[in-house]
Amino acid sequence: MTAPAPRRPRRLLATGAALLLALPLTAALFGPLLAPLVTPADGAPYARGGGHPLGTDGMGRDVLGLLLRGGPSALGVATGAVALAYLLGGSLGLAAAASRHKAVDEILMRPVEILLPLPSLLVISVVGVGWRGQPLAIALTVAALNAPAVARLVRAAALDAAGSPVAEAMRMQGESRSRVLFGLLGRAVLPVAAADIGTRIATAVFTVAAANFLGLGMEPTSADWGVTVAGSREALLVQPWAVCAPAAMLVMFTVGLNLLADRLLAPAAEAGTAARAGRALAVRTQKAPK
Amino acid sequence: MLRYALRRGLLTLVQLAVLAVVVFLLTSMLPGDAAEVAFNEQAGAVQVDELRARLGLDRPLVERFADWSGALLHGDLGTSLAGHRPVTGILADSLAATLLLAAVTAALVVPLAVVLGLLMGLRAGTRLDRALSAVLLALTSLPDFVLALALVAVFSLRLGWLPSTWVGADSGDLLRHPALFVLPVAVLLARTVCLLSRQIRAGTLAALSAGYVVQARRLGVPRGRLVLRHVLPGAAVPGVQELARTGDQLLGGVLVVEAVFAIPGTATALVDAVQNRDVPTVQALTLLLAALALLVNLAADLVCHRLAPRTEVLR
Amino acid sequence: MQADSTRRGFLRLATVTGAALLTSCSADGGGEGGGPPRRGGILRAAFPGFGAKETMDPHAQRQFVDMARHKAVFDKLVDLDADLRPVPRLARRWEPDAEARVWRFTLREAVFHDGHRLEAEDVLYSLARILDPKAPDHLARPSLALIDLRRSRAIGTRTVELVLKAPGAELPSLLATTGTPVVRRGYRDPREPVGTGPFRFRSFTTGRSFTAVRFDDHWDGAPYLDEIRIHSAATEARGSAVQAGEVDYAHEMTPTFARVVDGNPRVRIVSAPSSGAEGIALKTDRPPFDDPDAAMALKLLADRERLVEVVLGGRGGLGNDMYGKGFTYYPQGVPQRERDVDEARRLLRRTGLLNKKIDFYTSTAADGFVDAAHLFAEQAGEAGLRVEVRSGPPESYFTDMLTKGTLGSHRCGAMPIPTYLSQRLLRDSPQNATAWRHKDFDADFAAAQAVVDERDRGARYGRLQRTVRERGGLLLWGHPDWLNAVSHRLHGVRAAPPNTVDWARFDKVWLT
Repeated sequence: MTAPAPRRPRRLLATGAALLLALPLTAALFGPLLAPLVTPADGAPYARGGGHPLGTDGMGRDVLGLLLRGGPSALGVATGAVALAYLLGGSLGLAAAASRHKAVDEILMRPVEILLPLPSLLVISVVGVGWRGQPLAIALTVAALNAPAVARLVRAAALDAAGSPVAEAMRMQGESRSRVLFGLLGRAVLPVAAADIGTRIATAVFTVAAANFLGLGMEPTSADWGVTVAGSREALLVQPWAVCAPAAMLVMFTVGLNLLADRLLAPAAEAGTAARAGRALAVRTQKAPK
Repeated sequence: MLRYALRRGLLTLVQLAVLAVVVFLLTSMLPGDAAEVAFNEQAGAVQVDELRARLGLDRPLVERFADWSGALLHGDLGTSLAGHRPVTGILADSLAATLLLAAVTAALVVPLAVVLGLLMGLRAGTRLDRALSAVLLALTSLPDFVLALALVAVFSLRLGWLPSTWVGADSGDLLRHPALFVLPVAVLLARTVCLLSRQIRAGTLAALSAGYVVQARRLGVPRGRLVLRHVLPGAAVPGVQELARTGDQLLGGVLVVEAVFAIPGTATALVDAVQNRDVPTVQALTLLLAALALLVNLAADLVCHRLAPRTEVLR
Repeated sequence: MQADSTRRGFLRLATVTGAALLTSCSADGGGEGGGPPRRGGILRAAFPGFGAKETMDPHAQRQFVDMARHKAVFDKLVDLDADLRPVPRLARRWEPDAEARVWRFTLREAVFHDGHRLEAEDVLYSLARILDPKAPDHLARPSLALIDLRRSRAIGTRTVELVLKAPGAELPSLLATTGTPVVRRGYRDPREPVGTGPFRFRSFTTGRSFTAVRFDDHWDGAPYLDEIRIHSAATEARGSAVQAGEVDYAHEMTPTFARVVDGNPRVRIVSAPSSGAEGIALKTDRPPFDDPDAAMALKLLADRERLVEVVLGGRGGLGNDMYGKGFTYYPQGVPQRERDVDEARRLLRRTGLLNKKIDFYTSTAADGFVDAAHLFAEQAGEAGLRVEVRSGPPESYFTDMLTKGTLGSHRCGAMPIPTYLSQRLLRDSPQNATAWRHKDFDADFAAAQAVVDERDRGARYGRLQRTVRERGGLLLWGHPDWLNAVSHRLHGVRAAPPNTVDWARFDKVWLT
């Protein structure tokens, strides 16, 4: 296999990931400014053509115009929610893992575990009803719902690394706990977290969309990508663009984000023995199947 | 190990009790009650008030909770406020389909995710890894209903290979019709396999750099044995724990799957109950789902305890 | 008073199927052919489900899926035809006294599924059960409350005399509303429903399915089908199931679905015109709409064509701010209200509303509410009125909107015009969404209830409707078509709006 020459494909990968991300990000950042300039007047519902490059949605609105306006909330709410979840849950998990006393760990983690099986639909219903149509409230709720899972994940990964001989060695050399924690554990936790963040954002995007769909989140007439995908789903076969265009934006965003995260974090993991060991192993397993 | 399991079991009970209170409060915070929702646009205030009185919804919150928990201690889950029939009946009706669906999905997702995750981890950075990653991610980021409707459009409506819904399927007899499961399970798999395999991939990467694996490799442990005995257990820890917690995240997806395929399952029952403000049913379903989730969690922790005992040793 | 029911039934059938052919010709591949009716087969139908709310108690029914199931097992005394005019069912005919206070209903020969013959006592038992003060969930209780049960009696076994507390010329149509089926004397357990209907109950699973088999001794002739199964299924599932041939009848489909199956030879859309009304309710008890000119401004600025095109997907008729287009008693010769932005602007300026902001309280409680609200807000903006749309919780919307908001979303299914007036526009109406409370209006309506002559009564209703159209708070912009999908195997399905006799009627359909 191509163990010695992974450089070029990986650069290609980074470029590909960046390209995938660029479209939805540009649309989200500059779309709202551009939208009024390129949006034609409303047409018939779920029409194709007729001056609408991507057709119209169920209300006769131009799909391209919607696409340009729907980015900020679609990406902002989900990304913000996951960031917040990591801020809360991540620090909680790390603190629990680093604590010297079992009691501290218990006090930190027990409430989290109790809340873990709370059905998110119920929580979103309550919040959605109280603060209907407010993206901030939805973001906070999705964050709160994700925080316990993040805390557990980070704690588990950190404990795993804390048990390693290197950590033992560091501790024996008298390194402070926080240095062990943030130096070693942080790095051990990062790859797991990176893998998780990407997929969690994807899930969060659709938790938000599901909330919208149940009439608990944003207005059903909002241009938000998640909302428009859900709202037009019935017309999948009649006017595919109304569903596929915003869905493609979401897919590009999550795939691009994840690939980029892999790429950025890969050197940390792969520069060491891991990747080489892995590749060597893989090569050898393949050469000698029996 | 036994003491650990016992301690965790006891804790689970406490957890369920706290949940019961939280869920009761949350459901009561929703606007409208079962009486109001029952009539929707079809009746006047007088009739709503009468029904409210008959359902006992005009009594204080604390009193109602006390009644409910008292009955629960006698094994009585109460009567639905929406259908005036025992909650146990609603549970029994909705649970079978969902459990079957979950079991089939889990049985497929675990081996699939382990194989894919290991493969991606061992070949990290190669084309295979990237291609698999991209495909799995794209599947996860595709909305459930788009995937479900597209699968139905192709495999049921165009090709006619598979049934498009469970309409008319006899719930006592589901296992005799495996074709019913194919499309719903495919949608649920698309949702879960990515999350899980990426965890296992990350775990594999971490395990490969771990001292004991490096050491084992130096000692000349054969490759297959190395992967199966040393890499996989370490790699599986985050994955197994993730599996145990995808339950709730899946609920949204299960809801969509149940709606698209007309599966009379738990997610639909729960959402219905919330919308009907049917507090006893919401309580029972939540607690049941929570108990199941906690059991799976417990099992997962016990497995992890075996796979990587040092996580406990450290504590 | 009552014409020969067979002839009328035949005429009605002819006109209704004619209408069905006209409205569904675009989607109808093979036409309504199918040859002569054939016996046998199992019909599978899918309706929107309501989970634990579903019931087999015919007096507590609320959802369409319940009504369809009960219609298979039970009959009513009276039902409504496609014009929302009472037609005889278990009652062969009826006569009021001169003041419409005492009514005599003559029953036909009918047999319950357990062999018991229908008698006057069964009817009185059913009415007593509906009016049971301990059963607040019995839907028809308020509208039948004017029956004085203690003074009502059986005359022999075939005639029921109903005495009313006040004049009630609309008693037959009240007996045809939802939740009025006739049950067997002594019926108590909803799990064992025994009726006189065309199908004999076999099984029911709440929130899921219902099966019933042919009852050969039905008074209207045995149905063609051997068995019917009525399932509960969500929108997507109904759509796929009917396309895949897993069900032969899918109730309540959207205009978008109709476009999806357009040209599909295996699925036909049966479209019933005028299945109710869609509109906007303006609160007339508070500023600005206590001034009829302000309300008129809004009625004039609405672009009704656009609302019908977008919100109803073009499948509906234009509204003229009066309920019941196409139904009996609908005033004839009232010109269609057209959009007139200039006049609307003038009225807005005169009432001080120009460039003011008003509040539109809506919700996702029904399809299209939020879309219509936003669309209307845009149209109002064009005339210089700022409408701010706010969404409330769907579960309690229809109660909340009675007090909240200056504008609100309004919708009503098919019901006779007098029923609409009494439920929505009287001072003590439970659903008075426009807060229309006028003593003289109530008095005129009450006076009409003592008028036995149908034409005279109709003229009185017409005047009331026109008053509301000019001065009231109802902006009714559209009358949606009711869309059901049927497979190419199913024949004899008539286009009829819900709440009418031919709707969800499976005793006259057949499979090939």
